[in-house]
Amino acid sequence: MLDMSYLGKEFPEFIFEVDRSKIKELCLAIGDENPIFLNKEEAQKAGYKDTPASLTFPTLMNFWGYPEIWNRMTEMGIDIKKLLHAKEEYEYFSPIYPGDVITGKVKVDSMRASSAMDMVTFKSIYSRDGEEVLIAKMTIVVPKGENA
Amino acid sequence: MITWDEIDVDYELPSLTKGPITQLQLIKYAGASGDFNQIHTVPDYAKEAGLDGTIVHGMLVMGILGQMITSFAEPKMIKKYSAGFKSITRPGDTLVAKGIVKKKYEKDGEKLIDCRVYVEDSAGDLKVDGKVTIAF
Repeated sequence: MLDMSYLGKEFPEFIFEVDRSKIKELCLAIGDENPIFLNKEEAQKAGYKDTPASLTFPTLMNFWGYPEIWNRMTEMGIDIKKLLHAKEEYEYFSPIYPGDVITGKVKVDSMRASSAMDMVTFKSIYSRDGEEVLIAKMTIVVPKGENA
Repeated sequence: MITWDEIDVDYELPSLTKGPITQLQLIKYAGASGDFNQIHTVPDYAKEAGLDGTIVHGMLVMGILGQMITSFAEPKMIKKYSAGFKSITRPGDTLVAKGIVKKKYEKDGEKLIDCRVYVEDSAGDLKVDGKVTIAF
């Protein structure tokens, strides 16, 4: 059972320090060898300050920066073993670079429970020096009844 | 790279074929991303969860789609990127990332395109269906 009292709840802020090796590690796991993400000189030639984070880097900031999300989900009544990732959305305001100290804040943006499934969207706002650099939304579903 | 002026609706982004995805890649992706849900890495756990075996992280598939996008456009040109996960990908699947321009417009002095971006397996089954907004 989803605990609907979590709707709108904000979890405690966390700090994520961006490491060059994590930017590289994510790209290599994906198999993306674009030199802009891997090589500082190549990135600077292309007009970047340093190697920018790739497009799906925010998922890494979510899981490494706020691993407590799994416990929060269990507390909310989400069956982690049955959960499916339904949707992921990013809005980018400024590139994220090695050395950046990013503040993250996760909020329960929407919750819906029906006989067929539970659906929850978490919104993460990432800021650097008080300015928002990125907004990420993750929507998960837990099928119920005959759909489970 | 191609300019905004040269692009029209229905322009197809260069596709990217990747794979087959291996179990080792899922282990690497788990460590890189921090998503340690064991349905991706531990076959016995995946079976307990009612699956035939491990399944690929949806975010890895979205990452592969992202690679296609930033092979076409500079990372700093990407304004918005979203993806919906449509069906399960398994180790051994080969993936093809594709994109097509759906809208071309100007807003607040920026020249933009909206593209449908998606990933299919080699049989043509849709895995991830997304959207990206690119500024030139």
